[in-house]
Amino acid sequence: MGFLDTTFIFLIAGVVASRSVSVCLNRGPSTNLFHSTLIITATICCWMMWAIVYIAQMNPLIVPILSEG
Amino acid sequence: MADRGGRGGGGCCPPLDLMRSEPMHLVQIIIPMESAHLTVSYLGDIGLVQFKDLNADKSPFQRTYANQIKRCGEMARKLRFFREQMLKASISPSTTPMTRNNIDFDDLEIKLGELETELVEVNANSEKLQRTYNELLEYKLVLHKAGEFFHSARNDAAAQHRETEARQVGDASLDSPLLLEQEMQIDPSKQIKLGFISGLVPKEKSMAFERILFRATRGNLFLKQVPIDDPVNDPVSGEKIAKNVFVIFYSGERAKTKILKICEAFGANRYPFMDDVGKQLQMIDEVSAKIQELKTTIDVGLLHRDNLLKNIGYQFELWYHLVRKEKSVYHTLNMLSLDVTKKCLVAEGWSPVFAANQIQDVLQRATFDSKSQVGSIFQVLQTRESPPTYFRTNKFTSAFQEIVDAYGVAKYQEANPGVYSIITFPFLFAVMFGDWGHGLCLLAVTLFLIFREKKLSSQKLGDIMEMVFGGRYLILMMAIFSIYTGLIYNEFFSVPFKIFGPSAYACRDASCRDATIDGLIKVRRTYPFGLDPTWHGSRSELPFLNSLKMKMSILLGVAQMNLGIVMSYFNGMFFRNALNIWFQFIPQLIFLNSLFGYLSLLIIVKWCTGATADLYHVMIYMFLSPTDDLGENQLFPGQKTLQLVLLLLAFISVPWMLLPKPFLLKKQYEQRHQGQAYAMLQATDNGSLEEQDHDSHHHEEFEFSEVFVHQLIHTIEFVLGAVSNTASYLRLWALSLAHSELSSVFYDKVLLLAWGFNNVIILIIGLIVFIFATVGVLLVMETLSAFLHALRLHWVEFMNKFYEGDGYKFSPFSFALLAEEDE
Repeated sequence: MGFLDTTFIFLIAGVVASRSVSVCLNRGPSTNLFHSTLIITATICCWMMWAIVYIAQMNPLIVPILSEG
Repeated sequence: MADRGGRGGGGCCPPLDLMRSEPMHLVQIIIPMESAHLTVSYLGDIGLVQFKDLNADKSPFQRTYANQIKRCGEMARKLRFFREQMLKASISPSTTPMTRNNIDFDDLEIKLGELETELVEVNANSEKLQRTYNELLEYKLVLHKAGEFFHSARNDAAAQHRETEARQVGDASLDSPLLLEQEMQIDPSKQIKLGFISGLVPKEKSMAFERILFRATRGNLFLKQVPIDDPVNDPVSGEKIAKNVFVIFYSGERAKTKILKICEAFGANRYPFMDDVGKQLQMIDEVSAKIQELKTTIDVGLLHRDNLLKNIGYQFELWYHLVRKEKSVYHTLNMLSLDVTKKCLVAEGWSPVFAANQIQDVLQRATFDSKSQVGSIFQVLQTRESPPTYFRTNKFTSAFQEIVDAYGVAKYQEANPGVYSIITFPFLFAVMFGDWGHGLCLLAVTLFLIFREKKLSSQKLGDIMEMVFGGRYLILMMAIFSIYTGLIYNEFFSVPFKIFGPSAYACRDASCRDATIDGLIKVRRTYPFGLDPTWHGSRSELPFLNSLKMKMSILLGVAQMNLGIVMSYFNGMFFRNALNIWFQFIPQLIFLNSLFGYLSLLIIVKWCTGATADLYHVMIYMFLSPTDDLGENQLFPGQKTLQLVLLLLAFISVPWMLLPKPFLLKKQYEQRHQGQAYAMLQATDNGSLEEQDHDSHHHEEFEFSEVFVHQLIHTIEFVLGAVSNTASYLRLWALSLAHSELSSVFYDKVLLLAWGFNNVIILIIGLIVFIFATVGVLLVMETLSAFLHALRLHWVEFMNKFYEGDGYKFSPFSFALLAEEDE
């Protein structure tokens, strides 16, 4: 799983979640938009966190040095 | 993003819920006198109007319904009296569902009055009876004790008498003194009549009582005190006091008056006492009979009172609500101004635009129900006054909105940071609290609260419990996000798991000799989700995590601050304030991103390329000597040029923020002022015109220096804030590091240590210590500290980019809110 694959999964998950909430929990356009905003924000936050940790480990400058014993 | 409300207009998307406070309007309602009460109470039922006080200049006594309020106050007092009495008799008011039978206010007043008189009378009677009863009890005690005393004294005297007689008989010789017989036979004429007083005195005062008596009579008295075994009820105070029975013998009227006075001063109750044994017995019988009688009377009285209170208890809640409602209705009616004709009341108040139909329906219903000839008139007033802020929140969003409101209530229709806080707040919390074991614990607690929501919300909880319960959905989000970030950090009570495949690192060769000196090498693709489990416990774990978390904090911080600045763009668009967009939003965005956006870019480029460039060095020398060659710190070609451009942009954006806005404001003001002098008079109502005039007086003064200084402060705050706020986000790194270190210390030094002993008892003790440390330190204290830091990041770093928060909250006249306030 590379960077782009997982990013794509995040994207799909975000879109599907926001769409399905609008469909399943339809409470008028304003509220649907509100729900979508929340889901998109959450997805972006989660993706950022994952992406940062992933990229940081791609080209390691320091490697794990096992402790003795 | 969509955030176009009524004023913004013309957008691609519908308005975003919760982003803007509800559009409000000032309404005027003219209500005929006869239906005023019903109308206001119906409006209180829907709770969507915030009445303005139109009689602010009048004192509470000058207002129209001052009398009714006084009556309500009196009734409330009576009800409080009943509650007190019920509390004393330990009868709790029934919480049965209130029957909605309509009680007339006047009838209730009369009924309450009657009940009060009855209760007061019953109380007074029973008090009187109780007092007599206590007195009789004391009397009985005195009779017993003093009787005993007299009895023993008489026995002693008789014995002595016999002794002397015996001696006389035996010693009737010549050497017996001749006068003895004479002395012994006291002359009845010279015999002094000894009087005595008996009674009860409190034990603690008895010593002083004795001393004073002794001094006052110069020792010419005989005092005998006997303590009573059980404390008795004092007739005056009704309290249980340990007492002594006393008998005082004295001689002379003077001594008697003195003693009586002293008795009075010491609160000693005196009781008559006969020295005749027969009479004593008779008295005891009499008193006992009386006591019996009184006891039954008192019991019957108490039963009567309890019945009375129980009857009150059945309806207490109903009456209490009714009275409070009435009082609030009259209070509101007092805020309305009386029409000149005195036939109708004029109400003014704020209400949400969406409620207009509902209000009109209610007005019609009230007119119909009160059989009034004339209907109420509902009209919308034009005003320049700033309306109150009203967000329609539900049980999920209210906790988040409260976090924002705690900082400051949004200006009317200002962009609400609460929308994004619903996600970013728990997210930033979780960045500091990343451990999916701890997250699961939090989740369990909050799910328990949510599933028992119905039961708990009707209960009265403690202060802290109330707070936790109120924020249950906030904690739910926090728990969910901490499970996510815990998976990213790969920590379950600080233990890593290989959930997402094998580690990317392996030994250099088969012997694995170098693993503890040079370290492992990366042999596979990067660990797909979160931190590689191999890092845990390695010697290079801390340097790696520090570098990662520090950079992550900056990236997240820059992203959130950018979101804040973008929100100010939405505000500018919504309020059609081009000035703020061009001279505040754009230079701010450029300034922040040319410095810290660039830093973020460098971080990402460094990670992607694996370059060894020193980012501190790059950033510092970008300012100190921007034209110097970067040398080995160069990350990408053309970096020097880019840096020069960015630096230039940053320098330009400072005066861009500072200078144009005040001058343009001045120009705008002058144009408006000129135009106003010759403006056509608008054909509006007198009232609103007056108001407009009144308002424009406020705007008229334009102090250029003030505006300029304000802009200067704003600019300095932003420029310095860009640096300090970015640094402030490093708290994410510090707290998450502290959390993971603490939890790994508890795991290694407590649980693993205990495990190493191979002893069940030690293991159990270790487990208990581990659980307590985890719950107390990590789950309670760390949650609190991470919560507070997330709060600060939102209040200061995020919200100061766009949020003014100088509005005032919509506080409608509502019976539902009234009940909440009381609890």
